[in-house]
Amino acid sequence: MSTVDKPPAPLEFIQGTLDVLVLSSLQLGPNHAYGISLHLQQQSGNEFLVDNGSLYPALQRLLQREWVAAQWKTSPNGRRARYYRLTPAGRKQVVAATSKWLRFVEAMGRVLAAES
Amino acid sequence: MWKLWAKLRARSGKIDDDLSEEIQSHLDLIASDRIAGGMNPDDARAAARREFGNATGVHERARDAWRFTSLDAALNDVRYALRAMRRAPAFSLAVLLTLGLGIGATTAIFSVVYAVLLRPLPYPSAERLVWLGEATPKAQGISVTWINFEHWRRENHSFEEMAGFQGGSGTMTGRGHAQQLHGMAVTSAFFRLTGWQPQAGRLFLESDDAPNAAPVVIVSHEFWRQTLGGGPNAIGASLVINGRACQIVGVLRSGQSYSSGATDFYMPLGPEAGRTTKRASHGSIRVLALLKPGVTLAAAKADLDGILERLASADPGPEDDHKAYAEFLADRRTGDVRLTLYMLMGAVLLVLLIACANSGSLLAVRNSLRAREIAIRAAIGAGRRRIARQLLTENLVMAALGGGLGVLLAYFCLRVIQHAGPRSIPRLAEAAIDVPVLIFAVLVTCASGLLAALAPLMGAGRLDLSRALKEGAPGSGSGRKRGKVRNALVVAEIATTLVLTFGAALLVRSLIAATRADPGFEPANLLALELNLPRSRYQSPESIWRFYGQLLEDVRNEPGITSAGAVYCPPLAGSCGDWWYSIADLPAPARTDVPLALTNIAGPSYLKTIQARMLAGRGFAESDRKGAPLVAIVNEELARRWWLAPQMAIGHHLKLGGPYQEGETMEIVGVVSNLSQAGLDQPAAPEVFFPFAQRAQSGMVVMVRTAGNASAFVPALRRHVSSLDPNIAIQSLRVFEERLGASLARRRFSTMLFGAFAALGIVLAAVGIYGVLNAWVSARQKEIAIRLAVGARGARILGWAGFHALRLALAGMALGATCAWAASRWLNSLVFGVSARDPAIFAAACGGILLLASAAAAGPLWKAMRVDAVRNLHEG
Repeated sequence: MSTVDKPPAPLEFIQGTLDVLVLSSLQLGPNHAYGISLHLQQQSGNEFLVDNGSLYPALQRLLQREWVAAQWKTSPNGRRARYYRLTPAGRKQVVAATSKWLRFVEAMGRVLAAES
Repeated sequence: MWKLWAKLRARSGKIDDDLSEEIQSHLDLIASDRIAGGMNPDDARAAARREFGNATGVHERARDAWRFTSLDAALNDVRYALRAMRRAPAFSLAVLLTLGLGIGATTAIFSVVYAVLLRPLPYPSAERLVWLGEATPKAQGISVTWINFEHWRRENHSFEEMAGFQGGSGTMTGRGHAQQLHGMAVTSAFFRLTGWQPQAGRLFLESDDAPNAAPVVIVSHEFWRQTLGGGPNAIGASLVINGRACQIVGVLRSGQSYSSGATDFYMPLGPEAGRTTKRASHGSIRVLALLKPGVTLAAAKADLDGILERLASADPGPEDDHKAYAEFLADRRTGDVRLTLYMLMGAVLLVLLIACANSGSLLAVRNSLRAREIAIRAAIGAGRRRIARQLLTENLVMAALGGGLGVLLAYFCLRVIQHAGPRSIPRLAEAAIDVPVLIFAVLVTCASGLLAALAPLMGAGRLDLSRALKEGAPGSGSGRKRGKVRNALVVAEIATTLVLTFGAALLVRSLIAATRADPGFEPANLLALELNLPRSRYQSPESIWRFYGQLLEDVRNEPGITSAGAVYCPPLAGSCGDWWYSIADLPAPARTDVPLALTNIAGPSYLKTIQARMLAGRGFAESDRKGAPLVAIVNEELARRWWLAPQMAIGHHLKLGGPYQEGETMEIVGVVSNLSQAGLDQPAAPEVFFPFAQRAQSGMVVMVRTAGNASAFVPALRRHVSSLDPNIAIQSLRVFEERLGASLARRRFSTMLFGAFAALGIVLAAVGIYGVLNAWVSARQKEIAIRLAVGARGARILGWAGFHALRLALAGMALGATCAWAASRWLNSLVFGVSARDPAIFAAACGGILLLASAAAAGPLWKAMRVDAVRNLHEG
């Protein structure tokens, strides 16, 4: 039996949250898939571990809904990568989805706090 | 189609390429980060692959995000449907053929309907072109007198333009042999209405309409090329027509023709017709007019009626009760064909309905055999909508292939129809499988696909999952509901087939009646030589009588010719004119009730030559000549209108024009049997014959009775005519029996097509009944086995299954009989010699359908009897 505390397992994404997080990360500027996953990992304090098997379909979904657009570009360190950027519709979607999620989190927190 | 496919393939290919490249670049980015952190390149690449995860899986999942959202899913379904079809080739072939035949026949008939009835006429504003004539209480669309036409043209407020025209013929001389030409006399507006342009020269001007205008002529492109040699100097040359030299002022473009036959030349109508002074003197002028936009036909007709009423008070005459007759040109052109074509279209739609019901029940049967497959698909997560969509796609794919086959079949059917069709159907030759027809075919295909899909879908929607999986045997899905749908389809098929069979039987019976109808004369070994003496050299009645007298004498002297006689209007020539009459010594009919009779002119030996039966009195004699008392022969139809027996007509006096108009009075000296003037399948009309010697006519038909094969005497007749006068063109010379057969061409054609549709319907229905009953028995094998096991005899089983089949047949026949009875009203005008509700034919059709149902049911019933109880129960 180990006395060392196990590092907590990374959180799994709740259905539908990944799309919003990807969109919000793109608000800072266009980014490629690797960049997005690094960004989400860092911003969440390593709580979210982004699985490519979820990220890629999410990106394709966003492309289909035309909330993001993709373009091949050369990265600052000289590598070619596919950059995603928000479309005007995507921008609207971020605002709507963000406020919805904040309400959801707040409500959830209130309920859970009252019970503990 | 291929473009769309290629585009889809390209798009899906681009998604794949982008994803591969993106994943590769992702791996490179991770690896370069690791290298920057101090790893060696090989380890860094391995670490990147580890960190990224399953690249192939990511690729597939990402690509799947696109799938099932667009046409991709449909294409998938299509691919699956094609696979399923290949798995059951016999079944697929049956459905394909059924749908193909139905869609093909429907498309072929539609292409004819479209070309003949629906396609606009080739004139500018054709939908506003109106055909005008005069109407009396007894006759519609008779000719317009020139003076009435002129008043209409100047005083109406309803038409933009109005042109008078009349068909005619002319003998061209001065260019080799005399030649009979077809021509038209038209006013200058005619060419503005038809929108024709000259290829060379000019069309008629207003000045050509004037009574004293110089004689000019316009020739058709075809005549210019074939007869005038197609040279550029035709304009200005002169053409001698009916002995009068006319200057050629224009050549039309190719393909410009008003009637279905070729018209060689056009002359101005005004100069000749303008000489008439009496308002009531009729030629054969009809009027073509362009309705102003927004004016209705009824309003325009009232406008013209108003003009006639004003004229009647200003210039009273014998025709003050005449009104205007107006009909859209498009309707005029197709009038008598329309009903036939609509009937055929109706018949072919019934066949299509049977084909749909048939494929529907076939599909339903197959789906019930696939119930387990469907249940499994549902169990592993396919939603009901997903399954329904898959089944629908399968049906639509089947229908699309059937439609393709149908269009192919339609192409060949159309060729046959055009080849076999009578020439009297206007624009039949123009029918083609063109864009509008293809659009129709696509619509019909989609509709049949949906219709055929309806039955199996109703089954699939109600599929009980757990039951289908639990019941082991294939065919276990044939629940009660589905059975009901299939039974309904069989009932519908039997009903439709009964309607078709009844219609076909009526038409066949009519055709037989028409073929056997007594034409009133003996058509074998008879030749008809049609002549028209040029007016310039045969002006006096004496010269006409002299010519025909000499010709008849020469012809009679030819060995092998037994008799010859002249007539104005031979049998089957249609109406050559009719007029009012009354019987002088009987009470006069009311002014609006004066009867009409066909008028005809015959030489003394005409009736003898064609071997018409004299019912009373005598034929014309040589003594019935000019100066002798006027005499007439009437036909049986006329005699029976006034008297009980033909004999009673003899000695009475017939007054031409009726009691209220001028006209000669003549003694009825003979009554002859009815001669088919309009056609073998037309009812007889009253007819009056005048003696040729009392009424000269330059255009006569010489009927010649030969001892042997009539066609052998054609050269001899030609020789006699040209030796008598080389400048006379023979209008036509043919064996009369051919004409007799041709008069039934349209009836034969429509009967043939209707019969073919009925036969097709019967075969399809038989297949359908067989298929459904067979499935019914298959699904009940176990039940039958149990019944046998508990002591039922074979006869009992037969009775039970037979009762099921009989119930369906009787329900279908009851429904069909009701529909057929109702539909017979529409057939009334198309049948001949029988009633449209002939009970014998009706009973025969019902009997035939019962026979058909029994034959189709025999197989399945036999199968039911032979169920092996022991084996069946053991297997269970």
